Amino acid sequence: MAAKAFGIVTSTPRRVNVYGLQDYRPAGAFTFIGKFRVIDFPISNFSNSGIKNIQVYLNKHPKALTDHLGTGRSYNLNSKRDRLQLFYCNHHMENEVYNTDVSDYLDNLHHLEDLPQEYVIIAPCYMVYKQDFSTLLDDHILSGADITMLYHRVNNARDHFLNCRVMGVDQDQMVTSLEINRGNRQNQCVFMDTYILKKSLFIDLVQRTAKYSSTYSLSQMLSVLIKREEYEIRGVQHKGFFASVDDLQSYYESNLSLLDPKNARDLFQDGWWIYTRTTDSNPSRIYDTATVKNSMIANGCQVEGTVENSVVGRAVHIGKGAVVRNCVILDHARIGDGVTLDSQIVDKYAQIIRTKEIIGTPGQPGYVHRADRL
Amino acid sequence: MKQGNMLAMILAGGRGSRLHELTDKVAKPAVSYGGKYRIVDFPLSNCANSGINIVGVLTQYESVLLNSYVAAGSRWGLDSDDAGVFVLTPREKADSGLDVYRGTADAISQNIDFIDQYNPEYLLILSGDHIYKMNYDKMLQAHIEQGANATIAVRPVPIKEASRFGIMNTNEDGDIVEFEEKPAHPKSNLASMGIYIFTWKDLRKLLISDMKDPDSDHDFGKNIIPTMLAENKKLIAYRFEGYWKDVGTIDSLWEANMDLLDEKDELDLSDPTWRIYSEDASSLPAYIGPDAVLDRVYLTQGTQVEGTAKNSVLSTLSQVKAGAKVIDTVLMPNAKVEEGATVTRAIVASGVKIGKGAVVGSADSENIILVSKNVKGVE
Repeated sequence: MAAKAFGIVTSTPRRVNVYGLQDYRPAGAFTFIGKFRVIDFPISNFSNSGIKNIQVYLNKHPKALTDHLGTGRSYNLNSKRDRLQLFYCNHHMENEVYNTDVSDYLDNLHHLEDLPQEYVIIAPCYMVYKQDFSTLLDDHILSGADITMLYHRVNNARDHFLNCRVMGVDQDQMVTSLEINRGNRQNQCVFMDTYILKKSLFIDLVQRTAKYSSTYSLSQMLSVLIKREEYEIRGVQHKGFFASVDDLQSYYESNLSLLDPKNARDLFQDGWWIYTRTTDSNPSRIYDTATVKNSMIANGCQVEGTVENSVVGRAVHIGKGAVVRNCVILDHARIGDGVTLDSQIVDKYAQIIRTKEIIGTPGQPGYVHRADRL
Repeated sequence: MKQGNMLAMILAGGRGSRLHELTDKVAKPAVSYGGKYRIVDFPLSNCANSGINIVGVLTQYESVLLNSYVAAGSRWGLDSDDAGVFVLTPREKADSGLDVYRGTADAISQNIDFIDQYNPEYLLILSGDHIYKMNYDKMLQAHIEQGANATIAVRPVPIKEASRFGIMNTNEDGDIVEFEEKPAHPKSNLASMGIYIFTWKDLRKLLISDMKDPDSDHDFGKNIIPTMLAENKKLIAYRFEGYWKDVGTIDSLWEANMDLLDEKDELDLSDPTWRIYSEDASSLPAYIGPDAVLDRVYLTQGTQVEGTAKNSVLSTLSQVKAGAKVIDTVLMPNAKVEEGATVTRAIVASGVKIGKGAVVGSADSENIILVSKNVKGVE
């Protein structure tokens, strides 16, 4: 059966701001639990749902994602009927406020108009979750609603998800409000920036938004339209693991939260593979001097020291007597002999040799820049 | 053929019966090694890295798995328009019946039509059960520079052990003057690695006459090489010095896995200029639980260790549950050691489960135990 929908993976929105990491790559290209990129999750969701026409919008540092995604072969998108399109949009360098998803879509309007699918499913590049979009689409069509929005119930919204929008949903699952999370309540329905609508309505909304304000994003426009009650907008609750990678703290916490086997089992299920581009790294070697507890280790590593409660990316070297606790270490980093790290995010290719101790706290993790030598 | 004028044929041989039940369902080249690889990844990656685009894999004992595995040439980058990996099993032909491959040379003879399609200048013959990294292009350069009819890769072995190998006796120029299969009194310590480069038009003629010879064993070592020497053809020895291991038996397969734990790391699978390509599992990275103990372990993505692993190689999606111990052992993909079980000096075959509390193998066993069937737990 031909898919009734195509997919869009959005560019990094303005409100996503991950200290340090985002200087080098867009949020979708962040390494996640050692071997994945954040964008692998939305694209694998699409591919596993049989939605194999996917548009990916990029607005800054496109190289990281063009390299990673390529033609989509790693995502099982390599038949002649599949298509992974990358759109690079960055027309307003001089003024950030103009860089919205709406401007991305306007620049590529004819590529949207040309697609034969009746529906579009939009998913963000910076959120990690598992969702079968084909059942979500079927439910959307059955419900007769104009738009279906996906949300996740959380109980820690006072100090988490502060860069996200939260929704009001009534007893009939109709969306009654959409606004920025101002941290005034713990229990909230966090909008997952994921929604389904007809392509014709989508294009209509894009054009309406542009007329309303040149700096508005689609979700800002949706806030206005929900208040006006112009459309029938339905909320659907997502269940299972959910993470929004929108600042350094959430990046850190979401990586480490996958050390909980319950979360890992929830996100990684047989038959719902999360695809990524292989690097053909060799397996990792754990030496007799090493101690490894409650950690994830990607391939290509050499571990001679101690690793606890940490996520270690590919081809990382942890020297003799080094202690790495509560850390997220990215690919090709080198932690020298006798170095102690606690609660740090160490970016790719960083080498910590001469500085013997860097201590943060899980509530305020430190960040070591890409390729820095310490 | 646009790039390179050498075609490679991998002699994947028969079932590899010395690997016992490991080859019940898969042909020997598809046997797992080193956590994430299969044996055939080595010659195939060497070919890809050496710029060889067309590779035939010759096997009598075809398995669906080997066929589908190598047919996805994309794993080794051998999937562009002018590249490919082909499994070649004995075929029924219009002018002859269905013959099994009667020997290593016959396997090539029966596929002359396949080779001719690509019209190569040189033919590289490889074996499917060796673990090593080698640049075949350098070997070809030696073959061309010295104007050889055949070039045979050799490696020095301890002279005490030389009588176990096919030994090449060379003159001071490195020309092979004599070939002795397992000599009682070896004159040299240069052992054949079963890797040959032939100038194809020379070999083609020899193969056609060998096919018709009723007394021939149709074997490269026994027939083709001696015939060439008798005809005063130029055969040269090409010395190889790096890591090389024959993994034709359970013990040697285990040893080759254990070599990966060695700090000297002679094979060096991490070399970015000579990657060994393989299939990639869409799994989590290796997960090591809060109470796990790891001591000299080689492990790959998808493994889960909650118990103890010592001096062991843990393959894709293998599991060591809480309280279990895995010592001096290779867990092949999907092998599971349940709570409280102990496995020592063993290879646990793919998908095999060692039940709760079971004890398998012992530290002082002479040989490595192959565990190819589920072992019941002790309740």
